[in-house]
Amino acid sequence: MMGLLVFKERLKEFYARFEIYITPVIKFLFSLLAFSLMNKNIGFMTKLTEPYIPLVLALVCSFLPYGAISFLAAGFMLAHLSGISLEITLVMAVFIVVVGLLYYGFQPGDSYLLVLTPVFFLLKIPYAIPLIVGLSGSVISVIPVSCGVFIYYTLLYVKQNAGVLTNDMSVDQVVKFMQLMKVLLSNKLMLVMVTAFALSLVVVAVTRSLSMDYSWIIAIVAGSIAQLGVIFVGDIVADVSVSVILLLVGILFSIVIAGIYTFFVFAVDYSRTEYVQFEDDDYYYYVKAVPKLTVSAPDVKVQKINARKLQRPQR
Amino acid sequence: MLSEEKIKIMTSLAMFEKHEGKRIFPINRYFKSDYISSKLFRSFFSYTLSFVLCLVLWELYGMEQWLTTMELKGLTAAGMRIGLIYLIGLIIYLGISAVVYMKRYEYASRGTKVYLAKLKRLDKRYEGNTRPLKRPKGGRTS
Repeated sequence: MMGLLVFKERLKEFYARFEIYITPVIKFLFSLLAFSLMNKNIGFMTKLTEPYIPLVLALVCSFLPYGAISFLAAGFMLAHLSGISLEITLVMAVFIVVVGLLYYGFQPGDSYLLVLTPVFFLLKIPYAIPLIVGLSGSVISVIPVSCGVFIYYTLLYVKQNAGVLTNDMSVDQVVKFMQLMKVLLSNKLMLVMVTAFALSLVVVAVTRSLSMDYSWIIAIVAGSIAQLGVIFVGDIVADVSVSVILLLVGILFSIVIAGIYTFFVFAVDYSRTEYVQFEDDDYYYYVKAVPKLTVSAPDVKVQKINARKLQRPQR
Repeated sequence: MLSEEKIKIMTSLAMFEKHEGKRIFPINRYFKSDYISSKLFRSFFSYTLSFVLCLVLWELYGMEQWLTTMELKGLTAAGMRIGLIYLIGLIIYLGISAVVYMKRYEYASRGTKVYLAKLKRLDKRYEGNTRPLKRPKGGRTS
């Protein structure tokens, strides 16, 4: 534990010192991951699948704000989709424009969640998203997370049905469009996942702000249980098939990730909690003060003092 | 000579500006009603545009049904229903925007107060250092 705390202090120091370089590197890695995963999974526009294109785009993105990165990623996704079917491109474009107008008109500053949620799905750890977002953000982030889930399942559908959707004139466009809408709107797995994520996020966000000991840990566990519950209920009621082993492994892994996040963001020592009570003219105050766990990183410098041989010029 | 106290205040001012500036200065130029109504105006347009886009998608989806049951009565009923949905959605969305922007304005006006207080503290440090104002020679003239 001590070693970990020292490590955390070191990391903090490192970040404070090199922040100006670390932030662009993180943005670069984030966008590189997003663009290359898109190329790998929905690379229908062959011109964009060259390996250097994600690299160049990610380099550009490392100097852009997250809003612009999400915008660029959306454009990249639409370009790929237009390579397979105009109908799905239209649906996605309308979806993104509507979300952009209605939600991002408020400038909430969490647009990276729209990209991060599908990325975490592809990395097989989607269940970590509601836990971490619930711990770090506000309840409002339910909206971008749910939209991210929708985007992922739409792209998954496109990937699995690429053959049916291709731009040929064999099927009437209107018919194809109607089929597409029907499939997208009645995708039960997606609905179950959206419900599970939204509920879990709300549970985590509410629980962690409660005034009880170990509220963050309890929030993580409660959020995971909420996810599992919704998915199992969905499995039974809506007849959605989810691989139980993958689900459990994913949830366990997500709990571990959320635990690591908690350690780095919210390390407090509940054993030294102080309760104080005082009053002023208007109120009584019942204050609970929990001290943070901090250690100072040992600053050890080894100086070697060797007897230096003085070489005096011989006369 | 460097005044450490002044440097501290100026640093905290600069930090405050950096962190909170974006959420305060674009807003406190307006009166509350002007700010909120301008934002509501924008919200109205974005909602309307989104609604129209969704409507287009929906029309395309139900195209076949539209073409088979093309009659005036059905169309007017559908139009009424769409109008009603639009109005209800508009009211809800504008309500949410009004609440959000009202809160933002209040946050900004509180921030402005803090900023002004900090500026005043800095200003006082300057007063202590400057020489007293020159009085006109010869005392009172009136």
